[in-house]
Amino acid sequence: MGRPYGLLRAGFPYLKCLSMRRTTNFPVDIAIGKEGRLYILCRSDNTAMIRKYTVEDEDLGTMGRYGQGEGQFTWPVTIIADSEENIYVSDEYLHRIVAFNSEGEHIGTWGEHGTDPGQLNGPAGIAFDPDENLYVVDSLSHRVQKFTKDGEFLLQWGSYGDGEGEFNMPWGVAVDELGDVYVVDWRNDRAQKFNAEGEFLFAFGKSGSGNGEFNRPAGIDVDLHGDMYVADRGNDRIQLFNAEGRYVQKFLGDATLSKVSLAYMMTNASPNRMRDMADLEPQKYLRQPKSVAVSDDGLMFVPDFGSYRVQVYQNMAVPLTEQEFSPPRRSVTLHQE
Amino acid sequence: MSQNDVALMAHLMRRAGFGTTRTELEAYVVKGYENVVDDLVHPERGTPIDEDILERYFGSEGGYVGTWIYRMLNSLCPLQEKMALFWHHVFATGLGKNQHILASTNQIDMFRRVGMGKMRDILLELSKDPAMIFWLDNNENRKGEPNENYGRELLELFSLGVGNYTEDDIKNCALAFTGWTFVQPIPLYPHGYYAPPFLFIEAEHDNSEKTFLGHTGNLNGDDIINIIVEQPACARFISRHLYNFFAADEPQVPSWNVTPPQDPDAIETLADAFMGSDGHISHVLSVLFNADFFKAARFKKVKSPTELVTGILKLVGTFQGPQPGIAQYASATQLMGQKLLDPPTVEGWHTGKEWIDGGLLTARVNFAVREVSDASKPGIQDIIARLKDNGNPLSPEAFVESCLEFAGPLVVGDTTRQYLTEFAEANGEIDFRDDAAAAENQALLISMLQLIVASREYQLG
Repeated sequence: MGRPYGLLRAGFPYLKCLSMRRTTNFPVDIAIGKEGRLYILCRSDNTAMIRKYTVEDEDLGTMGRYGQGEGQFTWPVTIIADSEENIYVSDEYLHRIVAFNSEGEHIGTWGEHGTDPGQLNGPAGIAFDPDENLYVVDSLSHRVQKFTKDGEFLLQWGSYGDGEGEFNMPWGVAVDELGDVYVVDWRNDRAQKFNAEGEFLFAFGKSGSGNGEFNRPAGIDVDLHGDMYVADRGNDRIQLFNAEGRYVQKFLGDATLSKVSLAYMMTNASPNRMRDMADLEPQKYLRQPKSVAVSDDGLMFVPDFGSYRVQVYQNMAVPLTEQEFSPPRRSVTLHQE
Repeated sequence: MSQNDVALMAHLMRRAGFGTTRTELEAYVVKGYENVVDDLVHPERGTPIDEDILERYFGSEGGYVGTWIYRMLNSLCPLQEKMALFWHHVFATGLGKNQHILASTNQIDMFRRVGMGKMRDILLELSKDPAMIFWLDNNENRKGEPNENYGRELLELFSLGVGNYTEDDIKNCALAFTGWTFVQPIPLYPHGYYAPPFLFIEAEHDNSEKTFLGHTGNLNGDDIINIIVEQPACARFISRHLYNFFAADEPQVPSWNVTPPQDPDAIETLADAFMGSDGHISHVLSVLFNADFFKAARFKKVKSPTELVTGILKLVGTFQGPQPGIAQYASATQLMGQKLLDPPTVEGWHTGKEWIDGGLLTARVNFAVREVSDASKPGIQDIIARLKDNGNPLSPEAFVESCLEFAGPLVVGDTTRQYLTEFAEANGEIDFRDDAAAAENQALLISMLQLIVASREYQLG
């Protein structure tokens, strides 16, 4: 299925929240599995784990353990799932990729610390291409590397700088259904798009807090329409851009209490009273989101790092054909047709 | 570069900072003592720590103390962190009561931000700080039903000291702070801490006429602070705190009204600097660090647990960049009797010799010995490289002297030196001139460093 000719953006409402403190502590990323299963990567001091959840807010337990042993991770950054729902996690401290099956059994680890081609130096974002080769953002070496799923080196590009195709401690990466690659250039406050071989296509964003501007963006994803979602961490928001990099809208957060939160609060009279005394507006906002993930059915998942939850939105965009969407205009207009 | 210059600079950086690596120490010496002091008291001139890196690698509130220790180790403006620790000592606010880590950490951030400014601004920020307001019950201080806890401690422990005010002054001080509270924050569960901003409730404020330290009028909290900072007693009280923290150990604060300072002239010098600068703390610090009494105060203080831990980490050269595990050092200071963010009482920690008893000494020594036991650490490797550069094989006496130099420089007594030398003599001449020789003697170096950091003298800063 190709991309639609255009989109009628009918809305992108908040849908629900998943989880709460004590379960998804400091969620840094989320992987979307099959049949509504979600894998939420949590990381804080001397602890890290994967919480397995469903879109219905059911807690399916934990996977993975903090540590430096086989099948463990110390500073995990990104979690992704392959077509068989195997789970891959990057570890920027141990400079390696760790893989599990969907039940949490360790099925592989690869990666060698270094700066030569094929070696890893602070791997951050990871993403599969349509052939399930793995792109790895090698953050401390300011480059992107491409591997087979098992860690065989294929190609690399990028170096330190702020020119086209250069990076300054890049973080997140995404690959669209055509194989193009999107990289969040963390310290340059921008995102860059490349083709599958690493040829620069375009960049968007600059430092700031206005629409389309970034403050140390961390994560990125792209949906089947080519829309791009950037976790603008320092501005506490997600920003949505169209396939050409034009700013569309932002998401500041609309959280409500999740199912598990509600159950918890029903047995806690004191915090209920305190909530009644407080200004509750801030609780809906995102706090330092480091990543964003969109599903093929239009759900956007935002691990809300500072609030220990995942906020979920539903994209209501309607694909348009050429008959339903007039040709591009060179100029803005006031004319009503 | 004279040995005395190096020793004096090491003294300055132990007190005004948290120690140095040897390389940093030598760079400071080249810069010159007065220039270094001038830079230390003007942190705005320096490069601030990279907050983006802290956020990226340590960005979760649970690790605040670990991150603070990382700041102590890596800030290019270490006096700023030392002053945050100083005010945390003086304005001791316990996390154990408020259980709100964001309020407590915001207070430390506030100390870092204003801690070298004017005393008036510091006390005003303190009086509006939600962690302090809750700690001393000012959130329950209302017109018609005053709570005097904050007013009392503001005068007794935070600014003037016992004997410099009356009971009526306390009552009127408390009335002036009625209505100073904070906005109820959203509770921790289920979605985390939210910062509670300061709130002044006019309807709960007592607008009656008050008399405080001879001043009469409809005084509010700002007026009270303005009156306090103009008192010579305030200048002397804060000066004695600074002397105790930076120069030499004084008795515990509750006895200050009956026990005179060990160096009254030093306190007067600092108090004069305070009064002459409208209470500007960075000016007082500049006078302090350039004073002869400070330069002569080497090893006249027992290191606080935080100073011991950071000093050892500087010696072994770890955590010069982000890496996991920094939070364990928060636990280490706690084990030695200093749980940062959670002082035992409003008096803060008792300092000096009270840092050490049998159990705490064991914790201090075990920690230090463990940290220097790994020869792969950058600081140990640096010492090996310097011993290699020395050229000739070292006599036992020269080996001991070199190790004391690189571990401080540390001054030890005759008995300690004799023990160290006897230990070294068992190995004859000690050779680090090539890799094979260095590898052979690496274990000896580690043992020597372990003996040094376990010594009585190493407990002093």
